Amino acid sequence: MQNQPAARARALTKVYGDGDSRVVALSSVDVEFYSGRFTAIMGPSGSGKSTLMHCVAGLDAPTSGEVFLGDAELADMTDNQLTALRRDRVGFVFQAFNLLPTLTAWENITLPLDLAGREPDRELADAIVDAVGLRDRLHHRPAQLSGGQQQRVACARALITNPDVVFADEPTGALDSRSSADLLDLLRTSVDRFGRTVVMVTHEPAAAAYADRVLFLADGRLVDELTAPTADRVLDRMKHLERVAV
Amino acid sequence: MLRAMLRDLRAHKGRIAMTLVAIVLGVTFVVATLVISDSTAASFTGAGTRSDVDLAVRGPEEQPILTRADVDRLAGVPGVTGATGVLVARAAVVGTDGKIIPGRHATAGTGWDDTGRFALTEGRAPARGEAALSRSAASEAGLTPGDEARILLPGGRETRVVVAGTFDYRTLGVESVPEVAFAASAAGELLGDSYTRVELAAAPGTQVSAAVRQLTTAPGLTVSTGEELAAEARDEADSAARSTRESLLAFVAVALLVAMFVIANTFTMLVTQRVRQFALLRAVGASRRQVRRTVLLEAAALGFAGATVGVVAGVALGLLGMWAFTPADEPVTYAVSPLAVGIGYAVGIGVTAVAAWGASRRAAAVPPIAALRLDATSGGPGHRGGRVRAVAGAVLLLVGVLAVALLSGEGLSTTERVLCLAAGVVGWLGVLLLAPLLAAVVLRPVARLAGRRGGPVARLATRGAVRDPRRTAATSSALLVGLALVCAFATLGETMVSMSGAAVRTTVPADATILRSASGDDPLGADVLDRARATPGVDRVAADRYTLVGITHAGGTGRTSVSAIEPAGFTGVLTPRIVEGSGDLRRGVVVGTNEAAMLGVGLGDEVAFEFPGAPPVRQEIVGMIDTIEGQPLFYLDVDRAPAALRDRVTTVYAMGDARAALDAAFLHRPDVAVTDREGVLAEGIAEFQLLLSVMYAMFGAAIVIAVFGVINTLALSVIERSREVGVLRAVGATRRLVRRTVRLESIVICGYGGVLGIVVGLLFGAVMQHVMLGNPLFEFGAPMLVVVISLAGMVLVGVLSAMWPARRAAKTDVLTAVRAD
Repeated sequence: MQNQPAARARALTKVYGDGDSRVVALSSVDVEFYSGRFTAIMGPSGSGKSTLMHCVAGLDAPTSGEVFLGDAELADMTDNQLTALRRDRVGFVFQAFNLLPTLTAWENITLPLDLAGREPDRELADAIVDAVGLRDRLHHRPAQLSGGQQQRVACARALITNPDVVFADEPTGALDSRSSADLLDLLRTSVDRFGRTVVMVTHEPAAAAYADRVLFLADGRLVDELTAPTADRVLDRMKHLERVAV
Repeated sequence: MLRAMLRDLRAHKGRIAMTLVAIVLGVTFVVATLVISDSTAASFTGAGTRSDVDLAVRGPEEQPILTRADVDRLAGVPGVTGATGVLVARAAVVGTDGKIIPGRHATAGTGWDDTGRFALTEGRAPARGEAALSRSAASEAGLTPGDEARILLPGGRETRVVVAGTFDYRTLGVESVPEVAFAASAAGELLGDSYTRVELAAAPGTQVSAAVRQLTTAPGLTVSTGEELAAEARDEADSAARSTRESLLAFVAVALLVAMFVIANTFTMLVTQRVRQFALLRAVGASRRQVRRTVLLEAAALGFAGATVGVVAGVALGLLGMWAFTPADEPVTYAVSPLAVGIGYAVGIGVTAVAAWGASRRAAAVPPIAALRLDATSGGPGHRGGRVRAVAGAVLLLVGVLAVALLSGEGLSTTERVLCLAAGVVGWLGVLLLAPLLAAVVLRPVARLAGRRGGPVARLATRGAVRDPRRTAATSSALLVGLALVCAFATLGETMVSMSGAAVRTTVPADATILRSASGDDPLGADVLDRARATPGVDRVAADRYTLVGITHAGGTGRTSVSAIEPAGFTGVLTPRIVEGSGDLRRGVVVGTNEAAMLGVGLGDEVAFEFPGAPPVRQEIVGMIDTIEGQPLFYLDVDRAPAALRDRVTTVYAMGDARAALDAAFLHRPDVAVTDREGVLAEGIAEFQLLLSVMYAMFGAAIVIAVFGVINTLALSVIERSREVGVLRAVGATRRLVRRTVRLESIVICGYGGVLGIVVGLLFGAVMQHVMLGNPLFEFGAPMLVVVISLAGMVLVGVLSAMWPARRAAKTDVLTAVRAD
């Protein structure tokens, strides 16, 4: 289980623009995200961490290189195939504006199933709702929920389809520390209790400390890796990285 | 500040383009309507009037009282170099169906001359045994030069001539246009010896006026110069133009209203979407006043640009419309008045500025902190305005409905009718003001149902439509206005057709053979009634002598319509439904219940008919019947009518198994049309449908512009929601699903506007028919065909309007949702 990658990328390169405005966001990155593990991606701003995640999640197309989600190679897929893949095999939690304002919390959670025309698995749904702790707010609209609650709804939505990988892009970026802790606990729980694979982009060492493994990116390259991290050790590495970058 | 705003405008080219489109469309529509109205008006004045005579001597009101001797006498005046008498007499061209063509035949015949009255369009001037026809008469009768034509002459005579050519007529002063011109040498023997005027040419530099005036002392004769006649023609044309313009004004008003909705709505959305940018300006130190002024200035600039394009497009569209819809043989004058251009600019700039006024206040009220909020796209205060609007709407609707309810009884006086119609308009305005609230009330249950039963498409689309009821309402209001007008007039038309059908069917037996004038207006010859009575198989006859007449009653004077009929025929041939009193015309007159209510008269009251040239006919009202406008409102014993009316038979009803015999008897009478009850009805309906379809076309244009309003709103909300669409795409919605969602939302919005428009239209139509036809309020004819077409049309409009916005939404980049910019 440990060595089975849920998602992997080989020689992943992403270049924006051309000529003078050419920016290399990712430069030949090889990476594997192990199944049933919580991986954090860290790096200074502009290091390409979000781009990496977007490419692996099928949200963005790499300039070159290969991306596999399980056995599926993303490069060959049509837009509709990619859409179905995002719907059925991937979960997302974004930094903000995760939810559709016209749908209730419950409708937002079940949206991917709804789009697929499937009924939610009652047992799993109950378990997720309990883990998220929003049973009494399921029929509220996003506007009636706090930022932390909204992010937890987004998290529940990411889990409802039993996806191969949950991608979280700075999920605590807009939250206070208390809500952040709740959300990170939830992500941790989804790995430990539900056996999900979580990949999280963050720039907060404290958040990265919830992960099993931390990858460090700088200038579009994978430069370091840390297993069983603590906030202090992550901070150390980050400081080191920033010194190198300067 | 200004530069910041300009940059921002440039950065949002798409949104600006859409606001411009709204303004351009609104202005185009208004200007086009004005150009059409101006051109129609100008066409009355345009080509075809003359001032090329030195003097003209005329009888009063085109009466042919001048004789050959008069012409000769005038020709003998020293200095007069030419005197041409203008002969006018009855003449009617017989069409290919053997019956005379419709028209005003009493003054249709004249003699050819070269005074400049005729402008040949085809062929040549007529010689003996020939005639030239007016272009419209020739095409109506299906004749071209070289054909032989049958022409009915005064006194029931008939002549056969070869059509030599066709002409356009150029009028001098106020005169009716002739249809047939015989060769000058033959005209006298064919048409008689009476002239409506003598045109005189004088040698240059001579003063003949005084001498001519001395000769024309007979009562009623007037002498006019060419300039005077031209001025007279101009006055006449101006007043015709004025009334045309007035009737087209209603359409301009509708255009204006719809344009205002579309422009105001689009501009409000444009400002709402930039809340964050305004907040940023405020945060860096711009005062409220500065923000407000910037928005207003922007509005004025956009309004000016849009109005300029709109005026040009409107002029083009209006001229094109004139060109396309005018029959080929009618002279058209294309006119663009400065007023049309001015109003175009006023609408473009004015409406945009008014729309911007509210928006600018809202923009200025944005707190600087909004700049920092991620979701600062909507918001700003405005709820208080909404509440005021809802209350005002509810009050208006209530007042309107109550007033209509109070006036829903039968037998309304004229004032009450006007009030009732006004109440209908007030109620309608109430609905317009209430539209946002109604949108919420109507669409929320729909959304709830769709949420429970439907899939994600239905759920997202219906929720999207109720999300901002004010916007949904504003978007659909333009549709509401256009569609309601169409449905209201359709209801009125349907009711009118069914009522007049019912009235005729009640009064006239199905097996009656009906003889009418083939020309439409002219009465039948005096002999027709006798001949019908004498036809084998006919056992009884009755004849209407229908005319409009002045009436005096206790409450005042007015005009009404009356038919003089044989008392035995009124009850023995016709089958009037006597509601009250008796149908015995020997004892007095019978009146329709509605007309009695309008005049405020009842059984036993005395009324006096003022027939021209006869002493008043005083009669007591002895009975009331069911009848309708367009049918005779009063029935009078023919023996009590003045002699002049007795011979003016308009319709003959013959009972008995005699249709074939009557057909044969009148086969060689081109002036008499033989038909039956359903034939009469079908003819009336066909005429009425033509009128209705013109109205549909005019109001349909309002619907077209409303459609662009829907496209605008959808496109702007799609832009506004690109983040949401991104999220939707990220969690697994296909492009197709996004497209379908936008499309369904569009259908829901259009459907809402459509259903509301149809309901309001039917109700207002009910009020209109109640007021105009005196029918009970809810016994109106629902125009089912129009309703079904409208509903189907709204779905189609929904699909079409969504095409571009849906495609745009489907193209949304998933990453836009993820990037927290």
